[in-house]
Amino acid sequence: MPKRKLDPLPSAAFQILLSLVDKNRHGYGIMRQVADQTDGRMRLGPGTLYGSIQTLSEAGLIEEVEPGASEKENNERRKYYQLTSSGRQLLRAEAERLADLLRVARAKKILRGDYV
Amino acid sequence: MSEKLYARLLRLFPSHFRSGYGDEALQLFRDRAQDETGTFRRIRLWLDLLADVAISLPQEYGRDREGLGDAAPQLVDGVPAFAVLRDARLSFGPLSLGGALSLLLLASFPILLNLPENRQAISGNVFRPSRKHSGFRQPNASQVGHDQANGVSGNSSSFDAAERQRVLEATILNVREHYINPDVARKIADLLETHERGGDYDRVTDGALFAEVVTKELRAPNQDAHLALVYSESRLPPQPTDATAEEFAGYRSEMQRQNCTFEKVEILTHNIGYLKLNSFPGPTVCESTAKAAMVRLNRVDAIIFDLRDNGGGDGAMTSLIASYLFDHPEYWYNPRKTTTEESWTRSPIPGNRLADKPVYIVTSTRTISAAEQFCYDLKMLKRATLVGETTHGAAHAGVWYRIDDHFGVAIPETKPINPFANADWEGTGVEPDVKASAANALNAAEKLAEARLRKK
Repeated sequence: MPKRKLDPLPSAAFQILLSLVDKNRHGYGIMRQVADQTDGRMRLGPGTLYGSIQTLSEAGLIEEVEPGASEKENNERRKYYQLTSSGRQLLRAEAERLADLLRVARAKKILRGDYV
Repeated sequence: MSEKLYARLLRLFPSHFRSGYGDEALQLFRDRAQDETGTFRRIRLWLDLLADVAISLPQEYGRDREGLGDAAPQLVDGVPAFAVLRDARLSFGPLSLGGALSLLLLASFPILLNLPENRQAISGNVFRPSRKHSGFRQPNASQVGHDQANGVSGNSSSFDAAERQRVLEATILNVREHYINPDVARKIADLLETHERGGDYDRVTDGALFAEVVTKELRAPNQDAHLALVYSESRLPPQPTDATAEEFAGYRSEMQRQNCTFEKVEILTHNIGYLKLNSFPGPTVCESTAKAAMVRLNRVDAIIFDLRDNGGGDGAMTSLIASYLFDHPEYWYNPRKTTTEESWTRSPIPGNRLADKPVYIVTSTRTISAAEQFCYDLKMLKRATLVGETTHGAAHAGVWYRIDDHFGVAIPETKPINPFANADWEGTGVEPDVKASAANALNAAEKLAEARLRKK
């Protein structure tokens, strides 16, 4: 089931995985990070966010973790999520697929600037 | 406030989502609401949330269906089986909702079953038109005229002395052979023979007129309105057969047009029910209408049947309506029928409340035949108070005997045992308990009912 849901990887799931690369985050943290990554274009609502988190967890791509001492802030009830190794693998594969796509796009000169 | 609203929205999600992520979703909302202040951002927040619900709800519910996967049509020993997706106890909410819905559905059955549309064309009874077979409606002079009007012109036979003689002899023969009361039959025969010998019919050269004259003579000794000689200009069918589908359809559409002669079904002041019924139509076509009328009057405190213009009809309908007035099966005397299982009313009728309510019947001299049976039986059973005039007095059935292509004679025949002390109403009519002119009778009955209800 999860395989079917994640192939192809939905952009929300990709963004969530990407947001967890540098540090573990809680739900709202992920949402803000995703918004930052996309210049505010993607604002994940609770339904989409936690729906994706559930799918990703079931597929073993992310997992819940105890918040670290620095992450506890003042609310320890929040759940934190971290990338698993297979999650990192999938993310890399997906990023490479996108890079391939980008190379083709550049070869066809459909990009305006040369900024990649 | 807005948090509560969002909590409501969250309840739309399936339970597995709420138990897994409900708190977090709410937390996320709280965080966003805290950070995103100002009118524009608030509006954007809510638009986001609504769009999010719209998109993710189907996805969350779709999860269950995907869980079924390939296992969907499972068979265990050739029998379809359910796949258990989640093992959870039913909570109180769904159980009580399901219970309430089931009760509602059950409670709606009696109502749905009584809707007129649902009931027609179910009965398989064969309809017999009253003018051909035994029926309460007497084939009288107007009936003859009716037949004439419908007759195929140019098909009239010459009516001469020989034909007259033949018809008269056949009439006398039939009356002697079939009439209930042999003494009266003899009187009739004598009367007709005397007139014939005296040449009283010689100047009658028209079949219709002859039928009319003879009918008068037939009725003279006993005022029996069911006795009649009938002339039809069009050829009469060989022997009375069951109604053709066409005739039946005609009767049905005519009855539907007239609402089965249920002219008025009303609730008067003081919660007195009022039913003006102008015939007792065949239950095959009109059962649903009759039941609907009685159901409509179910909650009245007293009921008035207005039979002042009731020309009679089918004894089965009188029994059907009377069934509502008793709480146990009651012998329903019909002077036309030998006693059978159907001679009892169908009481008690489920849900009926009229069994112990006072009943008044408003009568006139135009209350005839089956309508008189209704009056007579309820009066004898002390179940109704009759208000108005003495009824017409036609009790016996007219059975049809064909004489030739254009003449036939209707003769009342059967004579079942009358359980009541009084003779039936043949020739005499049913006496009212309270005399009133037809015009004032309804008013009088209403006053009686009101007085009775006040006493309670």
